[in-house]
Amino acid sequence: MDVAIELKNICRSFKNHFWQNKKQVLKDVSLKIYKGEIFGFLGPNGAGKTTTIKIITGLIRPDSGSIKIFGHPANALEVKKRIGFLPESPYFYEHLTGYEFLKISALLSNQKDYKSGILGLLEKVGLKHAVRLQLRKYSRGMLQRIGIAQALVAEPELLILDEPLTGLDPIGRKEIKDIILEQKAKGNTVFFSSHILPDAEAVCDRIGIIIDGQIIKVGELNKLLKKGLKTDEISLEDWFVKQIKRNE
Amino acid sequence: MNRIWAIIENTFKESLRQKILLLLVIFSILLIVVSIFLEPFALGEAPRILRDFGLAVSALFGVLVVIIIGSTLIHKDIEKRTIYTVITKPVRRSEIIIGKFLGLLLLIIILVCAMAVIQQLVIFFYESSFDFSLLIAIPFLILEIMILLGILLLFSSFSSPALSAIMGILFFIIGHASPDLKLFADQVKIPAMKYLAYGFYYILPNLENFNLRIDLVHKLPLYPDQILFSVCYGLIYTIFLVYLAIIIFQRREFK
Repeated sequence: MDVAIELKNICRSFKNHFWQNKKQVLKDVSLKIYKGEIFGFLGPNGAGKTTTIKIITGLIRPDSGSIKIFGHPANALEVKKRIGFLPESPYFYEHLTGYEFLKISALLSNQKDYKSGILGLLEKVGLKHAVRLQLRKYSRGMLQRIGIAQALVAEPELLILDEPLTGLDPIGRKEIKDIILEQKAKGNTVFFSSHILPDAEAVCDRIGIIIDGQIIKVGELNKLLKKGLKTDEISLEDWFVKQIKRNE
Repeated sequence: MNRIWAIIENTFKESLRQKILLLLVIFSILLIVVSIFLEPFALGEAPRILRDFGLAVSALFGVLVVIIIGSTLIHKDIEKRTIYTVITKPVRRSEIIIGKFLGLLLLIIILVCAMAVIQQLVIFFYESSFDFSLLIAIPFLILEIMILLGILLLFSSFSSPALSAIMGILFFIIGHASPDLKLFADQVKIPAMKYLAYGFYYILPNLENFNLRIDLVHKLPLYPDQILFSVCYGLIYTIFLVYLAIIIFQRREFK
């Protein structure tokens, strides 16, 4: 299978203040995400999910290890053209309307004929009524939706979503899950982190679990769940809690 | 080009909607208009005061806008994390810096030109004629603002808004004291001090190159070689500062 993202032995440490010791946030993380799959990146708070995603998107650099996206370095412009990214708890330019924000996103993504595409996207994420509303008047769920829309604006081959389902009501979650499945149907790859395990369970082909900066499990969801309890399948939530307790 | 234009447009709109800008505009316009009422105290110097005061207010306005808005230009995007969705698009970091620089510069140029128009109207109201010779000061004021904006952008790309603003003010003060620094360097006897003063004089921007207020108000002649030098100096210094800001911003991480 073709590889979309390949992380090899990634290590990264931070220190909050110059007088503090460095804390290792990622410890030898290696991971392969294949083209066309939906990959769920799961882990408790502070496990290193967002740091991993920031390294994949080129927002930060690893201390050691290598990262390739479609065979190229993460920061390459050719790579960025093929990626759509939604950050965790996204903040956008508050003074812009939904339409203006997507227009800027489209221009930054080299899209020239953006008008109809933007209106279609706004409809897809359920924000057609808020086209001319400034983002500062958007609710938390609406911001999450516009965030998804800006990630999709260039019709990316790889969608990277950091906690995309947070802050959404059940209808919003269903709509985002449908978008994720639609991307897979188009042959695109989706890499997302989530705390909402039943939702991850509903859409993922494979999952990876990170705890305390280390990948402890990667595999196809069905196989992992069957391994978790030999007699019958258990829910992802039960299995996840079991894995965490085992690593404590 | 589309990408830089998108950043210019966004920076322009974002800066335009800051409430502090509106306050500064109103305050500056009031100051220019109020100069009409200084006539009784001017002791026959009213025409000179109208010109000098108007140019000084325009300059002060431009400098204040560049320091207040320029110091937060990059930092706010990082602090509010709005930079995440911009930097992960297929856009070069240099394009972000250039777009931010040009976006705020465009806004300041428009506002400074608006101030110049108001000053001309005030002069017309008082003298029944315009004094277009004063307009020569505007491009030089813009050159000075470009250098200050470059300094703020440079510091804003790696430090806090407060430090950026302080550095902007310091460079503004030292930049206008540059001839005094040269005088000090010429006269001081201690060799170490002499070299240090010359070093600062040649490295720090000499903003007095762009101060034509006295020449214009007193109708002194302007020399083409002096004007050409100032224009080249301003452009080269600004390009150097923006280039440094780009180098620093390219190395920056967004934790």
